[in-house]
Amino acid sequence: MDARMRWTLAALSLLLVATTSRGHAQVSAVGIRDLNFGIVIRGVPNTVSPADPVKSGQFYFSTPGIGSRVRIQFTLPTQLNGPAGATLPITFGTTDALLRGTAGSSANVTLNPNTTTTLTATTSRDANVWIGGRVTPAANQVTGAYSNTIVLTITVF
Amino acid sequence: MRVFTRVSAAVAVSLSLAATAAQAQSANASINARADVRQQITVTGVRDLDFGVAIQGVNKTVGVTSTSSGQFSSTGTSGSNVAITFTLPTNLASGANNLAINTWTGCYNGAAANASVGCTAFTPAAAATNTTFGAAGLFVFVGATVAPTAAQPVGIYTSAVTMTLTYF
Repeated sequence: MDARMRWTLAALSLLLVATTSRGHAQVSAVGIRDLNFGIVIRGVPNTVSPADPVKSGQFYFSTPGIGSRVRIQFTLPTQLNGPAGATLPITFGTTDALLRGTAGSSANVTLNPNTTTTLTATTSRDANVWIGGRVTPAANQVTGAYSNTIVLTITVF
Repeated sequence: MRVFTRVSAAVAVSLSLAATAAQAQSANASINARADVRQQITVTGVRDLDFGVAIQGVNKTVGVTSTSSGQFSSTGTSGSNVAITFTLPTNLASGANNLAINTWTGCYNGAAANASVGCTAFTPAAAATNTTFGAAGLFVFVGATVAPTAAQPVGIYTSAVTMTLTYF
């Protein structure tokens, strides 16, 4: 192996190390808490604020680092599914999501969960996202338990 | 030269990998939105707790099975947990005069408006008594004792007894 080849291999090794290190800093997201309207009375709309410390839904996500550009997108249901095929309408307002980085200096950022939001991580590489909403049971709504899935997709680019 | 060419190709592949790593990364997570729909609770005062004629200096008690006991009926989602709470007077009033009332008793029945069969005894109070709505709703009976003094001013004494039902 001549000197030129050794230098080239050394450079290649460094490049591979750099690539591997970048691969470890992945974006991740976790569902922490369900959005739970609790007991809802027939004919009486029920709203949960994203700031509700008990009933709001909660996600956590992390990015590769401060400075990451983050796209936040919800996949929201339009109804909750209940007994025997019954459905319960659910809607989300333009201020029904809230994001806050985990750093002490992080501030609340209000999000519209109906639209895609792109932010830059400036104070922390990870954050919590809370979501509220509103269900509107009919006067003759079938009683029972209703549920559906809310998906949060985080894209870092 | 041949070796150098191979290495250059490897570097090119590696750069390609690095470029791939710089592309958008995504992750998603899900939670559930949940709601428990129940029917509106209704509570109706069916019958007053009526002590009738009370004699000065003589305590008088009305038990829950008496036809003079107080009675409430209510409806709610069958099988749902419900907390019973009361706002109880300590006196009945007749103008500025008070008649002491105490020793509250109660029973609830989820099957029928019957204080004698299938009725579960409890002590009415501000603290919750927990039970469930039956298929027929929930029927609650209350009794108590009035304690007129020997010098109790004669007259008609009344006060409100309020029952509150709350799902939990």
